[in-house]
Amino acid sequence: MEASKLLGMGALAVVAGFLVLAVTGLPDFGSFERKHVALFFLEQGLQKTGSANIVNAIVWDFRGYDTLGEETVLFCAALGVFMIIRRKGHGRSD
Amino acid sequence: MDVLIKTVARIMFPLMLLLGAYIAINGHLSPGGGFPAGAVIGTAIAMMVLVYSEGDVEHRLTREELVDIKSVSGLILVIMIMSMGMKFRFELLSTQTYLSLWSGGFTVLLNIAGMLMVITAIVTLIYAIVKE
Repeated sequence: MEASKLLGMGALAVVAGFLVLAVTGLPDFGSFERKHVALFFLEQGLQKTGSANIVNAIVWDFRGYDTLGEETVLFCAALGVFMIIRRKGHGRSD
Repeated sequence: MDVLIKTVARIMFPLMLLLGAYIAINGHLSPGGGFPAGAVIGTAIAMMVLVYSEGDVEHRLTREELVDIKSVSGLILVIMIMSMGMKFRFELLSTQTYLSLWSGGFTVLLNIAGMLMVITAIVTLIYAIVKE
């Protein structure tokens, strides 16, 4: 019992150490690191997509497949609720 | 419901529809887009469902119509997003001027289709909750 408790605390300390290490590795608040994907979006966004709103360009164009998945989730959720709660014998006959 | 709430809801409803349509159509130029526009219009319809009796609203916009709208706009989204990277989209882009209303290739149509998806999701959920 005591040994397992010590082992658990040791594992927790290791995980906490890694978390602190990860936090110190983050870029400073408000600073912009020159990662080339982000820079590509900012510099080429208007030419590649033609939309001035860069957020919209990323959501609907660069990450279009991601948005398609989001809409699929929305569709499935609403369709599931519709199928569960609809009244019997009131809709179209299937 | 109270007559005060009914009156305010009746005045606010077209304004909310107008704001949502503006956010969706202008989404590629100003902050906004399909998701917030759908939230605004969906909230407007939900407000009418809650303030007036549910039957008054539902005979104008039935659940089956909602599912039809949702299916068609989902199909539009699939076709448009799957055509990403094809040649005609870049040719369409080269004929447009930046910062005009019809710019951004298919982004306008994608915003409108996404708005329809969000509206139908919210209204379907509201119907399901109010009915029980």
